[in-house]
Amino acid sequence: MGLIDHRFDDNVITTNIDTIINWARQSSLWPMGFGLACCAIEMMAAGGPRFDIARFGAEVFRASPRQADLMIVAGTVTKKMAPVLRRLYDQMPEPKWVISMGSCSNAGGPFPTYSVLQGVDKVVPVDVYVSGCPPRPEALLYGLMRLQDKIRKEGTVLRRERVIRLGETEPVLVGERG
Amino acid sequence: MRQLLRKLLLIDLFKGLWLTLTYTPEPAFTFQYPKERRPTAPRYRGVLRLQVEPGTGAQTCIVCDQCAKVCPDDLIELGGHREPGQKIKVLDYFDFNLSRCSFCGLCAEVCPTKPIKALVMSEDYELASYSRDAQILRVDEMYDGLPIQAYVR
Repeated sequence: MGLIDHRFDDNVITTNIDTIINWARQSSLWPMGFGLACCAIEMMAAGGPRFDIARFGAEVFRASPRQADLMIVAGTVTKKMAPVLRRLYDQMPEPKWVISMGSCSNAGGPFPTYSVLQGVDKVVPVDVYVSGCPPRPEALLYGLMRLQDKIRKEGTVLRRERVIRLGETEPVLVGERG
Repeated sequence: MRQLLRKLLLIDLFKGLWLTLTYTPEPAFTFQYPKERRPTAPRYRGVLRLQVEPGTGAQTCIVCDQCAKVCPDDLIELGGHREPGQKIKVLDYFDFNLSRCSFCGLCAEVCPTKPIKALVMSEDYELASYSRDAQILRVDEMYDGLPIQAYVR
């Protein structure tokens, strides 16, 4: 997408292209298997036939970050694991998103200690936080739906950035890039 | 000779395929989540919720601060004031930091109000937010619960 990324003004054609690109992106989010603790069990349950995350096009859990779009950080991130997590995030190709799943990766959970990272957003930018300890598979699916909502409002080919302000639902165009 | 014939005629493969075929007419095991919501177990602990008195809608919380004291992660902060001439305290704010919560249920267990418990673990589990600030639930969200957004394709 390097040729058309953020190069066009806001008009009928570009917004329609954005809609198509966003539809394609939101319907085939390939997650990277990043299970670290008990949340991973619920993540696997969501991938199984009972809850079937494939209905949202996100069933292909990739073992390699280079084939993934979405990182579901499921579990306690220790400070030893944090550099690895950042490297794996950096190895993922753009566009990439992060779901932080469970209390531990949201804010450290019940471990306010020297060895546990207090929230995965200290290392990688998080798009959706799913609360729960661990969240049910349904809650993860709900988080995935919210991420799809977010992707649907993104602007890819537009020169100006589309931003959803805090507390609002509709995106606004801000800034000038490149 | 028999082994070779077995291999050539792909007997084992067809055996496996037959097993797959016998399971095919059964209805799908999948639970269609956004369309149907699985009932939770009676003991299920979802997000914390403040209750009002049914019928009158009066406040049941007596601002005793026990839930804030018992919370192992110090996630609850609440306060109230006393109206002149009244015995019961009025709840001013109830901030519940959802982000660290491990849903242990101690706060709801310790709540002393009778017959209606002011604090309960509700059955809501749809908790997804875009920021960490949104995970701190204020008093109105504690009463009404977080809004569940519908699925759009």
